[in-house]
Amino acid sequence: MNAVHTKPGRGRLARIVEEFEEGIIAFLLGAMTLLTCTNVIMRYGFNSSIIWSLETVLVLFAWLVLFGIAYGFKITAHLGVDAVINLLPPRGRRVVALIACAASLAYGILLLKGAWDYWAPFADLPKTTGTWLPTGFDTQARTTSYFETDQIPMFDWLRFLEGWINYDERYSKMPRVIPYLILPISAVLILFRLIQATIRVWKGESDSLIVSHEAEEAVADAAHLNRELS
Amino acid sequence: DPMGCDAGETVVKFSHVTNTDKHPKGIAAELLKTRVNEEMDGTMCMEVFPNSTLYTDEQVIEAMLRGDVQMAAPSLSLFESITKAYRLFDLPFLFDDIDHVDAFQASEEGQKMLDGMQRRGIQGLAYWHNGMKQMSANKPLIEPTDAAGLKFRVQPSDVLVAQMEALDASPQPMAFAEVYGALQTGVVDGQENTWSNIYGQKFFEVQDGITETNHGVIDYMVIASVDFLDSLDPAVRDQLVTIVEEVSTERNAAVNKVDAEARQAILDAGSEIRELTEEQRAAWVETMKPVWAQFEEEVGAEMIEAAQNANK
Amino acid sequence: MEVALLFLMIVGLLLIGVPIAIALGLSSIVFQLLFSETSLASIAQSLYQAMAGHPSLLAIPFFILASSFMSTGGVAQRIIRFAIACVGHFKGGLAIAGVLACMMFAALSGSSPATVVAIGSIVIAAMRQVGYTRDFAAGVICNAGTLGILIPPSIVMVVYASATDVSVGRMFLAGVIPGILAGVMLMITIYVMARIKDMPAGDWLGWGEIWASFRDAFWGLFLIAIIMGGIYGHPWVDFSGGFPITWAPGAFTPTEAAAVAAVYAFLVATFVYRDMGPLAAREPGGRPTPLYRAPWALVTGFVHRDTRKTLFEGGKLTIVLMFIIANALILKHVLTDEQIPQHIANAMLGAGLGPITFLIVVNVILLIGGQFMEPSGLLVIVAPLVFPIAIQLGIDPIHLGIIMVVNMEIGMITPPVGLNLFVTSGVAGMSVMGVVRAALPFLAVLGVFLIIVTYVPWISTALPNATMGPEIIVN
Ligand code: NA
Ligand code: NA
Repeated sequence: MNAVHTKPGRGRLARIVEEFEEGIIAFLLGAMTLLTCTNVIMRYGFNSSIIWSLETVLVLFAWLVLFGIAYGFKITAHLGVDAVINLLPPRGRRVVALIACAASLAYGILLLKGAWDYWAPFADLPKTTGTWLPTGFDTQARTTSYFETDQIPMFDWLRFLEGWINYDERYSKMPRVIPYLILPISAVLILFRLIQATIRVWKGESDSLIVSHEAEEAVADAAHLNRELS
Repeated sequence: DPMGCDAGETVVKFSHVTNTDKHPKGIAAELLKTRVNEEMDGTMCMEVFPNSTLYTDEQVIEAMLRGDVQMAAPSLSLFESITKAYRLFDLPFLFDDIDHVDAFQASEEGQKMLDGMQRRGIQGLAYWHNGMKQMSANKPLIEPTDAAGLKFRVQPSDVLVAQMEALDASPQPMAFAEVYGALQTGVVDGQENTWSNIYGQKFFEVQDGITETNHGVIDYMVIASVDFLDSLDPAVRDQLVTIVEEVSTERNAAVNKVDAEARQAILDAGSEIRELTEEQRAAWVETMKPVWAQFEEEVGAEMIEAAQNANK
Repeated sequence: MEVALLFLMIVGLLLIGVPIAIALGLSSIVFQLLFSETSLASIAQSLYQAMAGHPSLLAIPFFILASSFMSTGGVAQRIIRFAIACVGHFKGGLAIAGVLACMMFAALSGSSPATVVAIGSIVIAAMRQVGYTRDFAAGVICNAGTLGILIPPSIVMVVYASATDVSVGRMFLAGVIPGILAGVMLMITIYVMARIKDMPAGDWLGWGEIWASFRDAFWGLFLIAIIMGGIYGHPWVDFSGGFPITWAPGAFTPTEAAAVAAVYAFLVATFVYRDMGPLAAREPGGRPTPLYRAPWALVTGFVHRDTRKTLFEGGKLTIVLMFIIANALILKHVLTDEQIPQHIANAMLGAGLGPITFLIVVNVILLIGGQFMEPSGLLVIVAPLVFPIAIQLGIDPIHLGIIMVVNMEIGMITPPVGLNLFVTSGVAGMSVMGVVRAALPFLAVLGVFLIIVTYVPWISTALPNATMGPEIIVN
């Protein structure tokens, strides 16, 4: 039921992309866990602390989820209610699935505008005008590129940003433009995967955007065992 | 419509993070709402969102610059992520008591700081007091050496971290919601806060008394976005600013009373409050004051001097 | 009126198969853009802050990860052996052991579906082998698995605490007595059914087997002590003077406990049980490599394929769950922006609602909502709506929290959206409707349990109040 991970014909690139996506997800969760534990050990064992650990872990948490949402659409992992659509005849189901795709695409497009409008001022870029859809760029809007995180240290190799976006003013902490960068990235990826998923439904390669339950792969073996017993 | 705003009224959303009836900030915000909605009925309508229901202090400045809220009153230390000058208020033992904080804020330099973020689109309208910070731990704190080796939860501010390190204590990052439980189970040993906050969060229940150090201040700046203020008719803007100033004067004058009540309530609950002798306090000052030098360049020596002069 | 439209739109989108997260998010966006001045950028801010601005929700990925390591790492299997040694010889013993194993695994894991997968995938097959019907086996595990969110630690409690600003530590303690009570009620029901229907009993394997299986499961079960002792403090030996047994303070917050649990589970699975990672047996039934033969495993274990795969699986589940929670938080933000919670609170209080009617209303809302929504997402939306009313009516916030958790448990085993139903159907290899029918008799037990928990607040509040003092209402 899990939709096409890697089509045989598409080969190496698809596999590299998949390795990359899974690697990022595993890395972010592993880094969050280790950093939190390290801070516990520092406090309990050495009466010390990593003062930037909590804020950094929270940023990694946001990156993990926001990066992973698009991957969830790629492998059809997101939850939904399929009880009603399962009652429909195949034709009706396809029509309803395409309506659901249209709604999801609308979400993706609105989210992309919102993500850009939120992030752009932090990067000294113009946000868009318009309430629902972008109607142009608001070049008069104020920059918020000076905004820093509370405690996350600034990397020296990112100092070029001071000239690029901060009018040569020095950053003493990591500017917010960096953690918030995941928002436009995430929105673009979500929209891209939603378009792909819609094409799959259109072509009849998949029948909806949702999986009706989680933990599918984990239970597959056990189910196999139980079926053999019956 | 008794709840919502009437058509044609300018809606002013005011977002803050405390309760509405026990905390100095919440009380002030409610008074501001009442006065604006009575005296500016038909032109302006204020909605107050307490208890971080809409935004936390960290998020509200961003939302204000976007125009999604119009007013807020974040803690002064939050402005450090915009301009380091506001670190001045975090320096330990810079002010003797809240009246001296008041005197500095009313001085020329203090009033200038309200305009310090204009070029960023933020206009300070007034200061609101919370009160002077006290210190507590799971053992009595009498001499500064008593704090050595203890773990203190602090707000994520460089000055407060440096201040704890000056005491040889270990500053710990921790979400505010987890502090009570962490103090209770002993994950961290101590904390610093104002009487109102210590009482409101019941920290005194899980600490070995409170030491009346008055070593720092927690205050707020009432802010509005420059764009919002510019969008108002000058007469309307002046009326709003006047109401803000009057509410600030009224509530700031009452803050010593609110503080004293919180302090008394802590005593009544059976907790111990330790007052320091002149000598003991001098020892704390001597230990923590070197922190000033670390931040002198950022906050400006002349500002430190002005703040000290206000103490006289 | 506008609010009714909002909820209609959500339900409509859900029913045509739009992912839950998008149904919540899109409806919120449309509602906000139509009825308020607030910008689209605020939606993006809410989405980001759903993670970055909620430190207490951090416990979710960590507890999920700990569960993943324990399921793949052989902890579940050892717990089952211990449970069978303890109660397997009663009539219906294997089923009772299944419940006991679910309770023990629940004390290690924060999630119900994870408990069903870990215990169910082994116990259901074992029960069928000794002659239980598949329906009975699936019904037992499907229900007992819901204890995963009632017995601490619990992801749903973390979400409740985050939504209402009560202490996570207090919620965890509050779940202990109700969790044990619900488990015992299930075990008694099974025993009675087993006597009536003459179900099989296992052999008494002796105290030796109890001891041996306990020793084998010890490293897994010790995690319970690490989590509870690490949060609340623990006895400690101190010879520096005076009485040698002292009370050591807590070492970490509930959130940190989750991260420590994940690392501990990884260490036990990789280096003690060696059911996964570089030291695992090469072929099924083979012997694992001892650490002294391959000391480099201490380094390679952290990046081993099995470790990465488990991290990825935990990450995937976190993403799916948090996508829903984040959009539920967007909905909550939009509702707050329009001051809907105040309107609803005023309307309900204005209608002269008393505590009893209020709790019935809450139960009904949650039971209906639970038919469509994933529990954490539902809690994020409902808790801020009803919490202020509960405080006004003098209902203990911890008690309210436990009521909500029990409602969520029931929601997990009732169609159309019931995570435990889906997982059990997968594990047992039967249709969802089949699992629904099989779960029904035990669902009645949970229903009775909900009534008891609703009207006897003492069950929820006794333990936290005894150890931490009465709940303080800050707001
Ligand atoms: Na649990
Ligand atoms: Na359900």
